[in-house]
Amino acid sequence: MAVLTMRDALNQALREEMNRDETVFLLGEDIGLYDGSFKVTRGLMKEFGEKRVLDTPIAEEVIIGTAIGAAMSGLRPVAEMMTVNFILVAMDQVVNAAAHIRYMFGGGSKVPLVIRTPGGGGHQLGAQHSHSHENWFAHVPGLKVVAPGTPGDAKGMLKSAIRDDNPVMFIENEGTYAIKGEVPDGEHLVPLDKNDVKRQGDDVTICAHSRMLIVATEAAKELEQQGISAEIVDLRALRPLDMAPVIESVKKTGHAITLEEGWRSYGVGAEVASRIYEEAFDYLDAPVARIGAAEVPTPYNKRLERIAFPGKADVVVTARALLGKN
Amino acid sequence: MSSVTMAKAINTSLRDALRKNPKTLIFGEDVGPLGGVFRITDGLQKEFGEDRVFDTPLAESAIIGISVGLALKGFRPVPEIQFDGFIYPAFDQIVSHVAKYRNRSGVPLPITIRVPFGGNIGAVEHHSESPEAYFAHTAGLKVVTPATPGDAYGLLQSAIEDDDPVVFFEPKSRYYLKEEIDLPSAAVPIGKAKISREGSQVSVIAYGPTVETALQAARSAEQEGISLEVIDLRSLSPLDTETVLASVRKTHRAVVVHEAPVFGGFGAEIAARISHDAFDVLEAPVARVAGLNIPYPPARFEKLYLPDADRILQAVDAALAYG
Repeated sequence: MAVLTMRDALNQALREEMNRDETVFLLGEDIGLYDGSFKVTRGLMKEFGEKRVLDTPIAEEVIIGTAIGAAMSGLRPVAEMMTVNFILVAMDQVVNAAAHIRYMFGGGSKVPLVIRTPGGGGHQLGAQHSHSHENWFAHVPGLKVVAPGTPGDAKGMLKSAIRDDNPVMFIENEGTYAIKGEVPDGEHLVPLDKNDVKRQGDDVTICAHSRMLIVATEAAKELEQQGISAEIVDLRALRPLDMAPVIESVKKTGHAITLEEGWRSYGVGAEVASRIYEEAFDYLDAPVARIGAAEVPTPYNKRLERIAFPGKADVVVTARALLGKN
Repeated sequence: MSSVTMAKAINTSLRDALRKNPKTLIFGEDVGPLGGVFRITDGLQKEFGEDRVFDTPLAESAIIGISVGLALKGFRPVPEIQFDGFIYPAFDQIVSHVAKYRNRSGVPLPITIRVPFGGNIGAVEHHSESPEAYFAHTAGLKVVTPATPGDAYGLLQSAIEDDDPVVFFEPKSRYYLKEEIDLPSAAVPIGKAKISREGSQVSVIAYGPTVETALQAARSAEQEGISLEVIDLRSLSPLDTETVLASVRKTHRAVVVHEAPVFGGFGAEIAARISHDAFDVLEAPVARVAGLNIPYPPARFEKLYLPDADRILQAVDAALAYG
């Protein structure tokens, strides 16, 4: 098994799927000649030509609109939005068209579309380049939403997403493209609807996805030194949300933390916490704690930006408080 | 006192805002000579002229974009988005610009975006949506929705007078709900919920169109000897958690009701907050009664999709039987 960066794992998934199925094609801003803003599409235009790797104008609504039309006509487009912040311009296409078409036409038309886009901040890119909006898409019936946090999952879920007949929001994170991990060669498929325990523990359950998996892991290591055993459940499948591993874990630990990079109010953690209360009410020894970003447009200032996003210390302090150890 | 519909109350509130402040402007699709598809702006162009009440092209992104510019120049724009489902083309303007201006540049941005929302009117697709959770989640926006004519008048006055952007969701299925009131009615502050009906056994938390549904459920429950307290949130962001918690500390049980799909919806935040802050007094999990996890269905099936009094009462029964 090779050790690859997240960006190379994604690149490998795209290349393998394009080789496997000639209806798969890519479109987006600067993904061709420039290899993509984060180099995920490196070398693909050279290998597959300009008909299958399209540089588009800076017009997100057009990118998604074009991709929907192509998908309805039998192709399998993989559209890149340079960051998730820019997809807001295309929100109408995503919600009113992509998500609804299969229902509106009574199943007579399907939209096998993947929208790849990174969220996340931490690089001083300011309020319009640093947010995480996966909870919005997870609220929309008709979409599937995934947010892998390891290179292996990224490859396996992207391949599954491309083969899926429904529109899939494939949420990446700017802060994870360079992380490395083991990636199985060749045919490696990870289902879009299965969450996964990434670390075993007994005292507290930490639910996290995407870059927050890294933060959760750092926190779990520190907690371990303090005699607290944390279990990490990866919420890589956000819609449909696979709650089974969460509930099973909470029944064991009796304590839960939700951790996300986006704003806390009305976020992923709200849904997950509500479900924990609904399904494991009698097992909880303390309320579910939710950790998210400060509720402001992301600051540009470096120090302010650092405090705005959740970090290891937030998780450690919260876990200790839940267990009555502060 | 006279019997006033919510439509009339909003129309009067807009008229009074135009009279009070010459900087107030109203614009949107068909709001001028037609008076709006729901007649909410009826007569306003005639009274205040085409410079202050005007029709725009069918271009929601532009409607909100010019609102930003006008607000920066000292006006108080009150744009209308004709239907809930049409707000998506303006999403970037609202989230990336309207919501962020004060934090990025330190200037106020007094815009009130009126949006008729919700279903139950037999409409076609894209005309019955409840997109409130997206905007409540967006830092930098205030989000309110009235359930009664008096609150509609008062909340809209507060929204237009506010120096921050407010998304004002109007429950279109309740436009013709009546209330005995005098206009102008009292101001309603943003950020305050109200108890619509006092009760002791289960707190039913609703907003906009579902407040009336919750009250219907409470009247039915009373006949069976069950006492429901109905809370009208009125303000979704900021959220009046105190009023909600005070009620739950009394009843020990809660049901949240909204029309939007349950998954990832506004009810998740309410349920999570109640469960967190009132953990030790809850006798049952907080129940969420909401729209189903499908795109809003064709009109023929919308009764099956929408939360009704029966579904609220089932959740109430389950909460009372829990344990």
